[in-house]
Formats: sequence, C-alpha cells, structure tokens
Amino acid sequence: MKKLLFALVASIFSFSAMAGGHADWFKEAGAPYKGTVLQGVAENTPPGQFAGEVLAKEFEKLTGIKVQLENTSWDQMYDKAIKDMEANSGIYDFVYIEQDIVYDYLNRDFLVNITEGLASNPSLQAPGVSLDDFTTFIDYFKDDTGDVFGVPMEAFIKVYLYRKDLFERADAKAAFRAQYGYGLSPATSFDQYRDNAEFFTHFCAEQGMECWGTTVQGHTGHPASTYEFLESIAPSFGLYNWGVNMDTYQSCVENGGQLNGGRAKAALNFWTQLLPFAPPEALQSTWSEVGSSFAAGRAAQGWVYGENAAWIATDAEKSAVVGNVGVMLPPTAPGVMTQAAAGNGYIGYYDGGAYGIPHSSKNKEATMLWLQFVAMNEHQADWAIAGGRITHKDTYADPKVMAVDEQADGYFTLMRDTGFLYAGAPPFPFHGAGRGAIDPFIYSALAGEMTPEEALDGACQALDTVMADLGYQN
Amino acid sequence: MLSKNKTGWLLLSPTILILVLAGLVPFFYVLYVGFFQWNPLAVDPSLQFDGFASNYRRLIFDEIFLESIWRSIKFSVVTLSIELTLGFLLALSLLSSFPLKSFFRSVHTLPLVIAPIVVGSIFKLFTVQGLGPLPHILKDYFGYTLNYGLNAEQAFWMIVIMDVWHWTPFVTLTLLAGLSALPQDPYESAKIDGANNFQIFTYITIPMMVPVLIVVIFIRLMDSLKIVDEVWMLTGGGPGYATRFTGIHIWKEVFEKRYYGLGSAMSILYLYITIVICWVLYSVMVARGKNED
Repeated sequence: MKKLLFALVASIFSFSAMAGGHADWFKEAGAPYKGTVLQGVAENTPPGQFAGEVLAKEFEKLTGIKVQLENTSWDQMYDKAIKDMEANSGIYDFVYIEQDIVYDYLNRDFLVNITEGLASNPSLQAPGVSLDDFTTFIDYFKDDTGDVFGVPMEAFIKVYLYRKDLFERADAKAAFRAQYGYGLSPATSFDQYRDNAEFFTHFCAEQGMECWGTTVQGHTGHPASTYEFLESIAPSFGLYNWGVNMDTYQSCVENGGQLNGGRAKAALNFWTQLLPFAPPEALQSTWSEVGSSFAAGRAAQGWVYGENAAWIATDAEKSAVVGNVGVMLPPTAPGVMTQAAAGNGYIGYYDGGAYGIPHSSKNKEATMLWLQFVAMNEHQADWAIAGGRITHKDTYADPKVMAVDEQADGYFTLMRDTGFLYAGAPPFPFHGAGRGAIDPFIYSALAGEMTPEEALDGACQALDTVMADLGYQN
Repeated sequence: MLSKNKTGWLLLSPTILILVLAGLVPFFYVLYVGFFQWNPLAVDPSLQFDGFASNYRRLIFDEIFLESIWRSIKFSVVTLSIELTLGFLLALSLLSSFPLKSFFRSVHTLPLVIAPIVVGSIFKLFTVQGLGPLPHILKDYFGYTLNYGLNAEQAFWMIVIMDVWHWTPFVTLTLLAGLSALPQDPYESAKIDGANNFQIFTYITIPMMVPVLIVVIFIRLMDSLKIVDEVWMLTGGGPGYATRFTGIHIWKEVFEKRYYGLGSAMSILYLYITIVICWVLYSVMVARGKNED
C-alpha cells in the first residue's frame, strides 16, 4: 500500500512534468468523451493494481473519462473476458490478454487492430507515444503483418530467487560441506538445487525456523502447477513447446512428440521429488501463494515470477526477506543454455500481458486514448517499481528503476540482459483445451496417485486426443 | 369466470415470460447445442452436426464423466444423510426450552446467509496446510496430518464437512417449522395409550413429517448434486480428480477446454440423471407413506 501511495505521489510529479506537453493533448483529445466510463477486466497482479489505482485516476483527471478496472482472479478474468467477447455483449471496453492466450484471441478475431485503428483516425494518435518504444515483448501481440492487437502492460521473467542470508550463514556453509562434500551456493544445476532444498529443510528445522528448502507451485487442483511444469521446469530440462511436435501436432514419443520422453520424465521426477522439501502449503499454492511463501521467509530458494520478485526484495511492509533476496537465472540441464542463446530453445517463461480492445467494446475511441496513456514513457518507471514489470526499452535506464534494481539484486538488469533466453508460450490457438487435458495428470503426479512416467504417458495421450479432436493434427 | 381467468393470466404473465426467457430458452438452446460438435478453439470452429446421439454415445464411454457422476451421487447421499440426521436432532432440541436458545438459533443460522464461494474461502483459510489453524491443531494435539492437497480421501471429506456446516441450518429450520406445525391431538392420544417417546417419534412424528422431509430431501439432493462454488474455491476439483464433481467437470470441459457441444450434452444427461434419481426417490417415499397409512 505504501508503495502504491509512493507511486501515486511520484506519478503526480511525473504528470506535473508532463503538464503543458502531452497532458494538454490528452485533455483536448479526451474532451469529446468526457463522462464516458470505460470498463476493463484484468488479473489482480501488482502491475494491474497500479493501473487501476494510479493510472486510471490520473487519466480521469486529465480527460474526464472514468476507467473502472476490475482486477480479479486469473480464472475469473478469463471467464469474464471470454464470455463477454463470445457473446459480443460489450460489457468490457478493454481486457487483459495474457501472452499465452493471445493466439486464441487472434484466431477467434476477438480484438480490435490497434495499429489500424490509430492509422485510420490520426486525431486519436497521441504525440510522444510510439509502439516502437516497447521491448520485443510487444511482438507477441502482433499478427503476421506486424499489426498490434494489444498494448503490453506487464512483462517479466520467472527467475530463481534465493535467500542470501541463509546461503551466507557460516554454520550452514560448514554443515553443507560436511554433508555433501562441496560448497553451499545458489543452484546452477538440478542436483545442486535438490541438495540445497534437502539441506535447508533439515537445517531450518534444526534451527527452529519455519522455512523449507524450496518453493513448489504445486496446486493439485489449479492450472498453476501445470504452468510451472510446462513453462519453467520442463524448458530448463530442454523440453520446449510442451513437447508438441510443431509440424504434426503430436506430443507422444511414439508419434514424434516429446511430452512423455526422457527429458520430460526427468523434469517431472525432479520436480515432484522436491515436494518433501517444500513448505506444507505447496500443494495448494498457485503463483500468488509461492510469492507470499517466499516473502514470508518460508523457502530458501525457488522459481518465482518476476512480478513478485521486486516487491519481495524491496517492500518491507509485505515481505519479511527484504535485503536478503538473491536473484539469478534458474538452473538448466547441460546444453539448454546454449540452445536458448542460439534461439533454438528457452530456459523459462517470458510472462506478461497486454490490454486489448474487444470488437464488442462500445467505446473504442476513448479506450484507444486510455491504452496510449498506459503506453506513455512518463510513468513506466513508477509502474516498474510498483509491479516489477518492464515493457519499454528506456525504463531500464531510469535512475529510479536502477536504484530499485540494486535493492532487488539486479532483477531488472537480469531481465534486460537475459530476457532473450526466455520465451512466451507456444503459439497454440488451442492453449486452454490442451492445458486442460494435461492438468489432471500433473495434479495426480503431484499427489502421488501416479508416477511421473504414468502421468506423462497419460498426459500426452490426452493432449493428442484434444489436438486430433480439434483438427490440428496432420 | 373467464374474466377472472384473464386477470389471473395477466398477473402471471410477467413470471411466465421470465421463466420462458431465463429457463426454457437456455434449456432448449443447450439441448440443441448438445447435438453438435462445437469447440471454438478448433480449426473449424463452427457447429458440426454429427448425429443426434454422437455426444451422448461418447459420454456413455467417458470414464471420467461417469466417475464424476458416481462421485456426485456418493457425495449427495453422504451429505444428505448427515444433514438430515443432524438437522432433525437440532430441530427437535430447538423445540424444547433451554438457556440461550434464541442466541443459539441465530448463530446456528448464520452459515445459511453466507455465499457458497465465501464458505469455500473461509474453509480454505481455516484448513490450508502451513497457514490455516486446523492443520496445526490436528498435528500438534492429535498427531494427525491434514493435507487435502495430497490426500484424496481427506479432500472429499473436507468438502462433506463444509457442506454439512453450510446447509444443516437450512434442514434444521425447515424441519423445525414442520415440527412446530404438527397437530397435538395424535401425541396426546398416544400418551394416553401408553406409547413411549421412541414409539411416538417413529409412529407419529416421522409419518406426519414425511411431506416436509420430502421437500427438504429434494431441495438438498438437487443442490448437492450441482455443487460447484465451494469445491472450486477449496480444492479446485483436486487432487487429481478426487473432488471433480460433475458440475466442476462440466465447467472445466466447457469453459477451460471449450467443448461446448459435448459440455451441453453432459449438462442435459446430468439433468436427466438428476430427474430420474429424484423421481425414483419420490416414488419410493410416496409408496412407503401410503403403505404406512
């Protein structure tokens, strides 16, 4: 909250600085739409809260256009947005488009072509706002011709977070060396990760601390666990695109896929074997709970989404580990880093989303203004600090961001320098159906009802059935 | 008489219109969609007619769907039995006087006014491993590990407990209303004839309560067969398929995987099964009531 207040004050200064420049333009451009109420729906994330609580208010002050942003749970966000767009009911003027669902939305022609909309109505084109200012993350929201259908509002990578204070303890170092025969350090390999996890689970218990060796985003009834496996663990083992053969849309090894191949099985074995070293809430944890568990000091290391990394490292009001957070790339199997650097693979998920305008919106022009307001350079730094996200190239060099970067152990620098090693979700228009087919098998593997091998054999068959059903297989 | 009827129909017409728009139109639409293969994520996202029985034939061999129905029926039978027993006992005790009776009755009714999704949230906060107080208490004082993210049996029973907590007050209040309205003459005659309390309960109270019991059983049976919200919040249907009741299964097929045609067929088939269960139950209860008469 303090952070949002700070961001609000900082934004007021930013907009004061903007006054007389772009502010006048927005006032003038917004005048015909004064009194309009724009409805939006998005996931309740730190960047979403900033948009709803800071940017929306500033936009209303400038233009008289009210923005009501409904920040809700991930499931509800999809449910509401998709139902609205399918029914063409026009409840929402803008919706959050998560990177992994964009192919579905484009395929079903839900979204307004923003490039075309601005080109055909130059009076709506805000000065000083350029889609070229964005990082390459905006490419995920373009069609084949390069037209933009969503304005990125958050982008972050899933990093390896570790507790510096625990890893630097002399007694921990000595005990670790005695037990494992090598020095204690943040993990760069899976064996080391497992050793660290096992060690800190016992070490914390011996010290009477409520902490465990690793986080696991292992909810046994929520897709978050499937996502952690498919988008973080599996790629770091060298399994890309869910193991789907992109030419034939088959995922089982016997059909030319990889979802039940050696890498996938090694990855799922590794991940499920971490459970004894994870906090007890792991099997009911989505991304939010993983962030909260780490912030509460309940894990020594883990894969954590970048949107949470900044506040975990810097917000003393919400995090008990401020000043003790280390940030690194996650461990990878031999050869994966080389493949990722060459553009033939990736080490994890480049996550994020954009605001787009459904065709059913009744206030498209006013929403165009809002989306450009969101895209302005002036408030990107404050947004980055509040939400751990960066969508503009210049934001990395902002002094305020650089100061937070230092506190956050170089999270933003890591994102800037190694972001290219990460990738968004594979371009599957059937994303939801495919993932839904895999979910129960991942849940069962986590609950111990199936071995990882059985789970992946079942998952690939279920996924192949869905892809065949939907007509994707050649 | 005719003008009287006209006035009646005129007064009823808004209700009928709403019922048609909100009930019959969606029902016939779902029935219609159930005859098609339709998934907007498909290469061909249009509705494709594949024979009237295509989706239904597929469902008859769909183990996951059939298991979800069995799970839902099992859940309904278990919760209904517990809620009826507890509700009857509570209603009987509320008939007598005891200190703080009105306070107890008010507190006991509170769960009824809570939305199902909130009930799920309350139970989640109370029982989630690591953070909720219940697992700590069970572990520290009884050495019992509660982790329904891992244990399928625990997940099922946790949902039973949640449902019982939420809906027993409804059963109690309805039965209490029924018990309070029972005529006193049969009781007085039975006492004069020397019947004991158990005989009075089994031969007078229960038979006279049958109409109320039928209403309660039907309302709770239909409600429990379509449970979604609380389960969604507490377990999301997991671990694995352990708490994937039919309502949740249909939701996942329709709104996650977008199988609109198949999902519609599931809904119709499940509605049919629900009606059959209720009809069988009704017939049995009415026949039994007649025999006792």
